[in-house]
Amino acid sequence: MTFSAYLFYIAKQMKRGELLGSLEHIILLALARLDGSAHGMIVRREIEERTGRDISIGAVYATLERLEAKGYISSFTGEPTPERGGRAKRLFRFEAAGKQALQVSEQTIRNMTAGLKSRWERI
Amino acid sequence: MRRNSPPAFACWLLASVVPAPYREAMLGDLIEEYTLRAESASPVAASRWFWSQACRSVPSMVWSSLRSRDWLISMSIAMGVYIIMGTLKFAADLTISKFATPQQTTYVILAPIVFLATTSIGGCVAARIRRGATIFLALIVMITVAVLIAAKVCTIPVPWWYQFGFLTLGPLSVLLTPAVFGVLKPTC
Repeated sequence: MTFSAYLFYIAKQMKRGELLGSLEHIILLALARLDGSAHGMIVRREIEERTGRDISIGAVYATLERLEAKGYISSFTGEPTPERGGRAKRLFRFEAAGKQALQVSEQTIRNMTAGLKSRWERI
Repeated sequence: MRRNSPPAFACWLLASVVPAPYREAMLGDLIEEYTLRAESASPVAASRWFWSQACRSVPSMVWSSLRSRDWLISMSIAMGVYIIMGTLKFAADLTISKFATPQQTTYVILAPIVFLATTSIGGCVAARIRRGATIFLALIVMITVAVLIAAKVCTIPVPWWYQFGFLTLGPLSVLLTPAVFGVLKPTC
């Protein structure tokens, strides 16, 4: 992403108040790790295994719903299975806008942490 | 509870608060994980995990429901059922007043019976239309009773627990009667 595109994206998102929250960021990263497509419980498990954070499935679904509303991910319904009590899976898929949002978020963190290492050593 | 089946009340609780688009998927995820945990660890540990997930998911789901305006539909249904309940109660009170004055013991005994019957019917109707509407109906009943107690509408000298019974049993009958009479479809 070029610097001007990054600035344009930031300005657009800040106006709409839609910069990624911490859980949104983590869930998008989890989806990216899971080859861009997974259902809620797999996302929850991935986060728990990687970060040690035992988050509730409700928080995962609420965040996935928010990300879908923002257009960062999309979802589709799978086939119902007996082990799920005859319920179908809802699979979430990573979208191009989600990738862009993640890149911007990563860039923001890099910008904010640049040059901090020497300061931390002094604290 | 069947062998290796998740806690029914926790399922009911989740089904009541999870917005419709994600209800089936989320319950399916939880049931699948519960089955895996019940087989690998123990059904007790799996049930404990399921309860923990259900209780911790409620605030997120309520907030999500509020944001998606899903609650407005449930609230409208609850209001509609509440009006029907009020009409039923009014009709029943009119019938009772024909053979018992408000000061008589018969009236004091019949009033809670009529009240609980009305709230139970209301709860069943609301649950039949939309599961989440029962929570709003229970809240409306509780607020109405609290306002009536505060306004001292009841002129008959009754003990405190009599009024407290209306305040607690009314909302409870709205919530529990549909489950007891099997109006709700099994959630797990």
